[in-house]
Amino acid sequence: MIRLTVNGVEHTLDIEGDTPLLWVVRDVLGLKGSKFGCGAGLCGACTMHLNGQPFRTCITPVAAVAGQAITTIEGIAPANNLSAVQKAWLDLNVPQCGYCQSGQIMSATALLATNPSPSNQDIDNAMSGNLCRCGTYPRIRSAIHRAAELRRTAEFYELTEVRHD
Amino acid sequence: MTDLTALNRRGFLKSSALASGGLLLTIALPACSSMTHKGPVMDEQWQASAWLRIDTDNRVTFVLDRVEMGQGTYTGLVTLLCEELETDPANVQVEFAGVDSFYNNPLYKLQVTGGSTSVSTSFERIRLAGASAREMLKAAASQGLGVPVGQLRCDNGFVIPPSGQPIAYGQLVRVAATHKIPSDIVLKKPEQFRYIGKFDRRLDAHVKVTGQAQYGIDVELPGMLYAVISRAPAYGGTIKSVNSAAAQQAPGVVDVFPMEAAGRHGVAVVARSYWQARKAQQLLVIEWALPKSAPSDADVMAAYAQDLASKSGSRLRNDGHFSRARRQSSTVLEAEYRLPYLAHATLEPQVCVVNANQHGMEVWAPTQAPSLARIAAAKHSGYRVDDIIVHTTWIGGGFGRRLMQDFVAECAFIADRLQQPIKLIYSREEDTRHDFYRPASLHQLTATVHDDGHIHGWQHRLAHPKVMHWFVPDAAAAQFSFMPKFLFPALTAAGKLGEGILAPNDSSGYEGADDLPYAFEHIQVDFVHSEPGVPVGYWRAVGHSHNGFVTESFMDELAYQQQQDPLQFRRQLLQQHPRALAVLNKAAEMAHWGTPLAGCAQGVAVHKSFGTWVAQIADVSVDGGRIQVKRIVCAVDCGLVVNPDTVKAQMEGGMIFGLTAALFGKITLKNGAVEQSNFHDYPLLRLPETPELSVAIIASAEASSGVGEPGVPPVAAAVANAVFAASGQRLRELPLQLV
Repeated sequence: MIRLTVNGVEHTLDIEGDTPLLWVVRDVLGLKGSKFGCGAGLCGACTMHLNGQPFRTCITPVAAVAGQAITTIEGIAPANNLSAVQKAWLDLNVPQCGYCQSGQIMSATALLATNPSPSNQDIDNAMSGNLCRCGTYPRIRSAIHRAAELRRTAEFYELTEVRHD
Repeated sequence: MTDLTALNRRGFLKSSALASGGLLLTIALPACSSMTHKGPVMDEQWQASAWLRIDTDNRVTFVLDRVEMGQGTYTGLVTLLCEELETDPANVQVEFAGVDSFYNNPLYKLQVTGGSTSVSTSFERIRLAGASAREMLKAAASQGLGVPVGQLRCDNGFVIPPSGQPIAYGQLVRVAATHKIPSDIVLKKPEQFRYIGKFDRRLDAHVKVTGQAQYGIDVELPGMLYAVISRAPAYGGTIKSVNSAAAQQAPGVVDVFPMEAAGRHGVAVVARSYWQARKAQQLLVIEWALPKSAPSDADVMAAYAQDLASKSGSRLRNDGHFSRARRQSSTVLEAEYRLPYLAHATLEPQVCVVNANQHGMEVWAPTQAPSLARIAAAKHSGYRVDDIIVHTTWIGGGFGRRLMQDFVAECAFIADRLQQPIKLIYSREEDTRHDFYRPASLHQLTATVHDDGHIHGWQHRLAHPKVMHWFVPDAAAAQFSFMPKFLFPALTAAGKLGEGILAPNDSSGYEGADDLPYAFEHIQVDFVHSEPGVPVGYWRAVGHSHNGFVTESFMDELAYQQQQDPLQFRRQLLQQHPRALAVLNKAAEMAHWGTPLAGCAQGVAVHKSFGTWVAQIADVSVDGGRIQVKRIVCAVDCGLVVNPDTVKAQMEGGMIFGLTAALFGKITLKNGAVEQSNFHDYPLLRLPETPELSVAIIASAEASSGVGEPGVPPVAAAVANAVFAASGQRLRELPLQLV
C-alpha cells in the first residue's frame, strides 16, 4: 500500500511502487490534466509540484514520493477561479494545441513562487525543460511577466493563491 | 465571391425543428480543396457536416467536424458564425462531431482538416448559416409582434423591436423553426463587422490552462485495457520469431499476440495498466526479418541522384526556352540542395481508444481525418463501415501526422480481437520511429547568366516520393465508403492510377517550386518521382517546407552573383506581384533592413503557400561556429483576417516550427530503421533558444487564405541567407551546420 497526498487529498493505493507517478495520478486518481510526452524527463508535459518544487513525474516512481505533498494543474487554483499564471495565460492567448500547457503552467507557477519578479534569463532557466511543439514560447515568456505583475496586485494574490503543503 | 443564391439552391443549409422546441440548422461544408475528389456535386445526396442549434433556453451550440489541433479553427469558425448570428462568440458551446452513419456520403466528401483551408472554405457558408438563423428568428419575432421584419434588428442574442422589450432568441426558436430558410440572405459588409477582424479571445484557452481539455490520451472507458506494440524497426519488416512466454506471465497482462496493421508488423501487449503493458513489453524476445526495401539515408540520396540523372521526370513548368537559354548563356550557376526526413513529433504521441462489442465499434481518436479513421478501423476489424462511430477529441498537435490513421487501424484490430475497450499509446520512441515522415528530397538548381550580365534562366529539378501513395489506401476508400470492404484494395489501386482524374494531382513534392513567382524569362521545373520505400506523409507546409528553403536560398545565391542587395534583387523580379512586394517591404521596414542587430547579419526570404504571402527577415550571429538566431520579423498577407491574434500566433508558431527544422531536424535511417528516438536525439527548439519574433499583418480585403502552415516555409532560407551574410558559408543542406 502506498500513501499519496495529491492536491491536499490523501489516498491509499494498492499499486506497484515502480509505476511512474504520472500514470498513477492520471489513470488511478483520474486527474488527466498532467500529460505524457516523452517518458524520459525531456519535455516537461508531466510536470507537477513536489513540496512546491517542479518535477518530472513520468520518471518518478510513485514509491519515491509516498507521503509527500504533490500538486497538479487541477490543484493550483481555488474552485471557480484561476491562478495568476492561468489568468495571464488567458490574457495573452498562450495555448495553441494546449497539450504542453499544464506542464508549462506548473513550471511557471513554481518559478514565481520563489522569484516574484523573474528576469528573461530567470525565465529561460526555469522554462528550458518544457517543450512546446506549437511554438508558444514568446507568449509564455510574456505571460510569466504578466503573471508576476498580477501577483503584485495584493488583492489578486489573496484571492487566488492556495497552497497544499 | 461565391454566389449565395447558387449555394442555397445546392441546398447546403437545411432547417428542422427539434423535439425539445429548438431550432436546428444543418450545414454542408466543403472538404479540404487540395485533397478532394473533383467529381460532380450530387444535389440529391446531401450531407451535413456542421450543425447550429439554438435551444429554448438560449443556448447556442455549434457542432463542427473540423478539428482543433492548435491552429485556432475553433475560435475562427465560431467568430464567423457569431458575426451574422449577432451573438457573443464566448456564449457559443462547441461540440466536436465525429463520423457516423449519419455522414454516409456516396461520392465526394472527405472529412479532413488540413491544407490550411478551414477558414477559407467555410468563410461564407458558416456566415450564411448564422445569417439564415438570424433572419428566421427575426421572421418569428415579426410574426409575434406584428412588426415588419425590416424594423427589427438583432443584437447579442436578442431580437430588438423598434419599441418594447428585446426578445431572447430562445423564446423565438419554436416559431422560427416553422419558417423556411430565406432565400434572399444578405451577408454583412466588411464595414459592418463587429467580430471578424477584431475578435481576439481564444475560445479554447480556458479549458487548456485548467487541464480540463480532453485529448485522445485522456479518454477513459469502464473496464478499459491498455495496449502497446513492439513494431518492426523497418517499415514492412516482419516477425522471424517471437518468444512471449515471460511477457504473458507478467503482472496484469491480459494478452500478447503478433499482429499486422497499416503495413506494420508487430507484437501487441495488452494489460490492465499502461505501466504493466510497458514492463511486459520489455520481456518480449523478437527477431525481425528485414523487408525487401530497407534503405539507409545515404542510399536514399544516392537513389535520388541516380533518378535525377537518368529520368526526365514530369515537366511542371516550361516558360520560354530554358535549354536554348542555357546553350546561349555566358555563365551557368549550379547548386544542389538536400533536405532530410523529418518527424512530426506532436507532443501528444499517437494514441487511440476503441470499444468493440456485439453492437458495433466506437473509436475515440485525435485524428485530422475522421472519415479515414472509420475506414482504417473497418479494414482492420470485422466491422462494417456503417457499424463504426468515430469521436474526435482535442488534439495535442497535428501538423499532418494525424492525417494518417495507422494508430486507429492498430487499436481497432486489438479491440476487435479482445472485444473490450482498449487504449493504445505510443511511447515517444515508438512515435519517433514509426512516423510517416516529411520526405527527404534532392534538388538541382541551375541559373543562366547572359551576355547582358542578367539572369534569364531558372531550372529546378527535384527528386521526391509521392506522399499521396501513402495516404490513398484509406482516403480512396473513404471517398467510396458505401462500397463493400473487399473492394477497398481495388479503390487504393484506382486512387493511385487515377491521380489527376479520379484523385487530385499529388503536388506534395513540387508545390512551392512550380509556382516560382520571379519574372525570369525561361523557367523550367521538373519533378522526378523517386520512391525509396520509406513511409512518408503530410508535414506542416508539405512541399513548401522544402521548396521554400531551396528556391529562396538559390535566389539569394543569384543576388550575390549579380552583386545586388538580396531584397532589391527580389523586388525587381516581383513587380507583377504587389502582395509579395507589400510583405517584403513591410518586413524590411520592421527589421531595419541593412542595419542588423549588433553582431548579426540579416537574411531575407519570401514565399507564398496556401494562398498566403509571407516575408521574413532573420538577424543571425555566427559566433565560434555556432548559429544563433536573435530575431525574426514576419509580414503576412492572408487576405481578410478573421482573428488577428490567431494569425500572429500561427506565424510565431510556424517560425518556431521552421527553426526546429532549420537548426536541428533530421531523421536518419539505418537498414530502414529510424535512428532517433526521443527529444535528446530529435531535439525541438526550446524557450531559451527562441529568438525575438514580431509579426505584422498586411490589411487586405482579398479572400481569406491559410495561416496554419505559411509561417513555416521562409524561415530556414531567411536564416541560411543570414548565415551566408555573416560567415560567407552557403549552407545548402538542412539542418544548417557550419563547416
